[in-house]
Parts: sequence; structure tokens; C-alpha cells
Amino acid sequence: MGIKNRVAIITGSASGMGKDTAFMLAKNGAKVVINDIAEDKVHQTATQLRDEGYDAIGIVADISNKAAVESMVSDTIDAFGSVDILVNNAGMERGGALRKLSEQDWDITHNVNLKGPFLCSQAVHGHMVEQNRGRIINIASRAWLGGPGQAPYSSAKAGLVGLTRTLALELGRKGITSNCIAPGLILTPLWYELPEKTRNFLEKKQPSGSIGEGDDIANTVLYLADDDTGYVTGQVLYVCGGRSLFSG
Amino acid sequence: METFKDRVVLLESVGDEIGYAIALMMASKGAKLAVLDINGKNTSHMVSKLKENGIEAYGVTSDPADCTGAKQAIASIMEKYGRIDILVNNSDMIVKNEIVNTKAQNWYQGAKNNMDPAYFLSREVIPIMRKQSHGRIINIGSVEYLGLPHTSIYSAAKSSMLGFTRSLALETAKDHITVNWIVKGDIHSSKMSEEQVEKLAAKIPVKKLGTPDDVAGAVSFFAADTSKFITGQTFFVCGGKSLYFSMSI
Repeated sequence: MGIKNRVAIITGSASGMGKDTAFMLAKNGAKVVINDIAEDKVHQTATQLRDEGYDAIGIVADISNKAAVESMVSDTIDAFGSVDILVNNAGMERGGALRKLSEQDWDITHNVNLKGPFLCSQAVHGHMVEQNRGRIINIASRAWLGGPGQAPYSSAKAGLVGLTRTLALELGRKGITSNCIAPGLILTPLWYELPEKTRNFLEKKQPSGSIGEGDDIANTVLYLADDDTGYVTGQVLYVCGGRSLFSG
Repeated sequence: METFKDRVVLLESVGDEIGYAIALMMASKGAKLAVLDINGKNTSHMVSKLKENGIEAYGVTSDPADCTGAKQAIASIMEKYGRIDILVNNSDMIVKNEIVNTKAQNWYQGAKNNMDPAYFLSREVIPIMRKQSHGRIINIGSVEYLGLPHTSIYSAAKSSMLGFTRSLALETAKDHITVNWIVKGDIHSSKMSEEQVEKLAAKIPVKKLGTPDDVAGAVSFFAADTSKFITGQTFFVCGGKSLYFSMSI
């Protein structure tokens, strides 16, 4: 039981929810790989983890680049001897009204949110099949249900749900589970970039009347990553204070 | 692990191995237990089995599918412990028959046994949880709610928990109460033959049956304080079986 000595790659983990997840997994005994595209932040977070006594390395890699992903996975195996848990957390959004969106907005949003998880899953799965054990956890979004101004983001996250379910069916007999967490509004650096008026409006729409924290997601990752959670696969779990129940 | 230190769990319907696994896991994480069943044999059997493991549980025999029975059970637990933090509705009465061979009585019984305890107990326990400003209601369902041949009565009764869970979640979201629905798939039972197990396992993406502990693990996850931002959700513990059905996300 637990995740002690398991090796976890968390993409997009230099800050925000990914960083909270890395700390949560490390505190529970996992060896963690911090990945992001911002070199200084990757090393800062990895150093912070090591300073607190945890096993951690930082790997700078663009997850939408196949060669970079493959080298991240082989560097992980060189450093820690295994990959047991993959958390596809890295994400970004370019949004706006349909008429205003560019082809680049679509491509970059899909590359990071959907192609990245595909490449990372593909790169780790052979190793997981060999050891007959693995956990793939995709961080989607409640927004996969659709939202005005979210055409690229919503469709990429919806794609991630399909990827999650497909991997569950393909890899289920190999001891590998594949699940999806769909966060609602979470306090991250991005949240504070929104105008106060927008934040108040969104907060009022929450059935719980509150916004979630990074640890709400990190705890859910911890549960799905556990050796004992092998009978849960192909699922989408909303962590959103009830916001998925209606979106009016 | 003291995840549930000072938390009181009311576990309803304890005649099956899943109920026992939930009781053991919650107690091992520090919870105080009240176990409730309509059948006095089930209650006393559970209390003594737990005692063999060094766990004290308060047994209550009462009909939770009845308004008075549910009220009495809750009052008695409140007198014993002074609070109820976690309600697990574990009622499960399987009805299998082609609709043309069923009787009206089967329909009413299926509805009563699978739905009524969750209704009466939730209605009584929510005011208590509101006062405590803390509560977890966890309904245990079954993947058959999605509809299979010969399960018309059972699936109708079981699918009622979808709307029920979501509605309660919205009614209590601001009160630090969460309400979630764990939908179990094929779970191993000591009553199954090896042949049955093999046949069932072959039809599941992970090619094995679940264990009562798999369900208990999910209960423990949703019941924890740390799952405060998850409410109104349907969560399958089914080895991926739900993937074969539409309407399962």
C-alpha cells in the first residue's frame, strides 16, 4: 500500500497545482521528477524539495516534443531506476471568442494539453508494462464539459478524457490504471491574474461558495496513485466543489 | 494513521463483506463506529467480528427503511457518541428477473430496500451535520444501475441514487457537507465459485474482480477531511467496466 519509493514524473510541476502535487507525493515517500519549460523554476522547486529532505530531480523538457519527452523518461530511469506514476499536469489556455482565435491558439493549446499527455504516456508505458505496474493520472478540467470562449481548451481537455479511457482499456490487463481528475476553480497563480470582478463572479457560482486549493487536487492524485487503488481505472473525478453538477 | 480520529461513522447495512471491510478500514484509521442493520443477527455478528479484531463498535438494530426506525437509530447513536460525521449508506438488495416475470411486490420491495434507508437516514443526519459544520454522506451503488437485462427493478432503484446524491450535494454544499456516490463493479465474495470469478473477470478491462477493500478504500478517500472539495460525484470502483457503457461519466 501507499506510494513509498515509487517514482513519479509530474509535468508542469515547477509551480501551482503541479508543485503542490509533487510535494504531496514526496511527503508520502515517492521520488519525484519536477518538469517544466522554465529552467530556473524547475531547479528552484527541485532544490526546495531536496532541501526539505526529499528525493527529487528537475528535468527541463517541452512535453509537446517527442524527443524531449523520451529523454526525460530515460533520464528519470537513469536517476531513480523506474517510472511508476505519471501525472500529466502541464496545461495552458489560449481562449477567446471563436472569431478571434488564431490557428496558433488552437495548436499550442492542443499541443500542451493533449499531445503532451499522449507523448508522455507513450514514453512511459513500455516500462510500466514490463514491471506490470503503473499509474497514469491526467489533470483535465471541468471545462471539458464546454465553456464560452474555451474552444481550444475545452476540446483539448475533452480529448484528454478520451485518451484516459482508451489507455484504461488498452493497459488495464497490464496492471496499469489510467484516470482523470477534472479540477474546478483552484487557487493557483493563474487565479490571481483574473480581474477581481471576474473572481467574485466565479466564486458566487460555486455551490460550495468557495474555491479549491492545490492540495485538494494533490490529495486526489495521492489516492489514485496508491498501490491499493488498482481497481479504479478509466474514471473522471471532478474536484470542483459541486460546480460540475450544473453550470448555469 | 489517525485520519478519522474523533470522527463517528454510521455504517448502514452490515450483512455483507463490503460492510465489514469498510468498518475495519475506518476503525483502523481511528474512527468510532456505529453499525446499523434491520437484521439483529447481522448487527451482533458484525459487532462480535470487530471485537475479535480489538475494535469496539456500537451496534443498532432498527429498520432504516422506516421513518421511525431511522429516527430511533440516529437518536440512539447521538446518545452514545454525541455526533455523526460520516454516513455510509450500504443497502443493497439485488433483484434479478425478466420484467415480465416480476410482481408488483418485487418492484416495491426493490425500491424500498435500495432507496428508503438513504432517504430516511440522510434526512435525519443532515441537521446534525449542519450543526457540526462537518459531514460526509457516502452512498454505495452498483454498476448495474446503468441497465443490464434482468435488472429492471434493481437498476431503477439503484439509479435513483444519481439524482439523489447530486441534489443533496447542492443542498448542503455551503454547510461543509459532501455527498458522493461510489458505484461498485464486480467485487469478490467468498460465496462465489472459482468458475464464476473467472467468468466475471474475463469481462472486465483489468481482468480481475475487485475486493471489498477496494470499495472501503474509496469510502475512506471520500470520507476524509481532505476530500472537502469533492461533492455530488459518481465514482466507479469497477476495474474499468463502466467504460463499456455510455452515460458513465
